[in-house]
Amino acid sequence: MDYLYFLYLELLHKWNLPDYIAMVTFPIIPFCFVAAALIVVVIFLVLAERKILAFFTQRKGPNRVGPWGLFQTIADAIKLLCKENITPEGTDKFLFTLAPLLAFIPVLVVWGIIPFCNEFDIISFSINSLLFVVIAAIPILGILLAGYASNNKYSLIGSVRSVAQAISYELPLIFVLLSIVVLASSMNLKQIVLAQSSIYPFCGYFVFPAFLGFVVFFACGIAELNRCPFDLPEAESELVSGYNTEYSGMKFAFFFLAEYAMMFIMCAFIATLFLGGFLSPLGFYVGEKLIPNEFLANLSVYFEQAFWVFVKTFFLIFCMIWVRATLPRLKSHQLTAFAWKVLLPLSLLNLLIVCLIKAVL
Amino acid sequence: MKNLKYLISLIIGHLTVFKHIFKKPVTLEYPEKKIELNDKFRGEHAFDVEKCTACGTCQRVCPSFGTIEIEKEKDENGKFYPKNYSIDLNKCIFCGNCVQYCPFGAIKMTQNYELADEKKSTLKLEINTLKRNYFDNIIDK
Repeated sequence: MDYLYFLYLELLHKWNLPDYIAMVTFPIIPFCFVAAALIVVVIFLVLAERKILAFFTQRKGPNRVGPWGLFQTIADAIKLLCKENITPEGTDKFLFTLAPLLAFIPVLVVWGIIPFCNEFDIISFSINSLLFVVIAAIPILGILLAGYASNNKYSLIGSVRSVAQAISYELPLIFVLLSIVVLASSMNLKQIVLAQSSIYPFCGYFVFPAFLGFVVFFACGIAELNRCPFDLPEAESELVSGYNTEYSGMKFAFFFLAEYAMMFIMCAFIATLFLGGFLSPLGFYVGEKLIPNEFLANLSVYFEQAFWVFVKTFFLIFCMIWVRATLPRLKSHQLTAFAWKVLLPLSLLNLLIVCLIKAVL
Repeated sequence: MKNLKYLISLIIGHLTVFKHIFKKPVTLEYPEKKIELNDKFRGEHAFDVEKCTACGTCQRVCPSFGTIEIEKEKDENGKFYPKNYSIDLNKCIFCGNCVQYCPFGAIKMTQNYELADEKKSTLKLEINTLKRNYFDNIIDK
C-alpha cells in the first residue's frame, strides 16, 4: 500500500496539488474500486448461479436476454430499480427501511478486509480476521429487524429461524478460524496468506493440515449464507420467501445484493484461509517471468494475485452451487442437531489435530 | 456406522449430480426449435372428400358427442357424399377413433399441433379447411 501511495503522491505532484488532498482521497480510491467490483461481481454471480444450476439439472438456464443470456441479471436489476417501493400497512416504517441497509452495509465493509493482492488489503490491522467474523454477523440483525418490522408471520418465522441458525453455526466457524490462527501464528489475513507460502507450489496451504476444518468451515459458511441445504429462513415452500416477503423494489434489491455479495465474500474468505488466498498455485507468477520491463512485471504480479483470488473463490462458489443442486433442505431440528452434535465436535477435533501438528513440526 | 453410510451416499449423490453437467440439456427453445414428432402423432385433422361416402361411422365412434357434424346428400349416380362436414376442435379430444374406424380411410391426422386461436369459431374446422389440410399435409408428404 505504501508503494502505491507513493505513486499516487507523485501523480498529484505533477498536477501541482497539495499533499493533504492525497491523504484524504487515497483511502477512498480502493473503496470505489471495491464497491464497483462488488456490483459487477454480484450481477454476474447471480447469472453464473442460474447457469450452473441449470447445467446441473440438464437445463439451459437464462438464454433470452443478450447473447447466451448474459444481460439477464442487468435486465432484472433495471426491473427492480423501476419498481414501486411498497411499505405495507402496520409495519414499523423506520425499522422496515433500516433493515435492508443493515443487511447491506456490513457486506461492503467486510469486502475491504479480504486481501486481494500483496498491497491491496484495505482494512489491514493485526486482528482483522476477527473483524470479519464480527461484522459478517451484523446482516443477521438486519434480517431479524426485517422480519420483525414486516408485520407478517412468515417473515417473522423466517427471521427467527435465521437467528437461531446463526447462533448455532457461528461457534464451529470461530473454532475453525482459531485453528487457522494457531497454524499461521497471526490473526492478520495477509499474514495468514503469507504463512501458507512454501517452496513447493500449493503444498503449504492450510487445507491439508486442517482438512476437517475446511469441511466444517464450508458447511458453516453455507449455513451463514442461508443457502441450500440450510435455507430454512427463506424456505419457499413453507414461508413464501422468508424475511423478505414484504419487500419490493430497491429494498428487496438490497437484500438480494447483500446475500450474493456475502456469498462471494464468504468464499473469498475461505479461499484466503485455506486455499492460499492470492498465492499462485503454480509456485511462480507468470507475469514476473514473461514481462521484461521490471515496473510492469511488478505491477502485473498484483493483477495476477487478484486473479488467483478470484479463481479460488469461484471454485468454491461452484462447489456451493453444486451442493445446492444436490441436497434437499434439512428440517429445523436436524439443522441445530447437525451444528451442535456434528460440526462443533468436529471443529474441536480439528483444533486438536492442528495443535498437535503445530507442536510436532 | 449409520453416519458413515450417510456420508458415502452423500458423496455418491454429489458425483451423480456432477455427471449431469456433461449431458445435453433437455430444454427446447420452443418457438425457434420444435420437438420431433412421432409418425403416429394425433394433431389437426385432414379430410379427403372423394373417399368419403358419408356413412356416419366417425360420428358414431366419436366419444365426444357432437364433435363431428355431417350433412349428406345424393349425387346424380345415386351415391352419398358429404355436402358439409365439420369437426369442432373445442370438443375434440384427439383420440383418433374416427381415423381408425373410417372404412375408406378418408380422415387422417396431421402433425400440426399449434392450434391456439383468439376465437372459438375458427376452431370449428369446416370442410374446406379439412380439405386444404389434406392437400397440404398428407398429399404433399
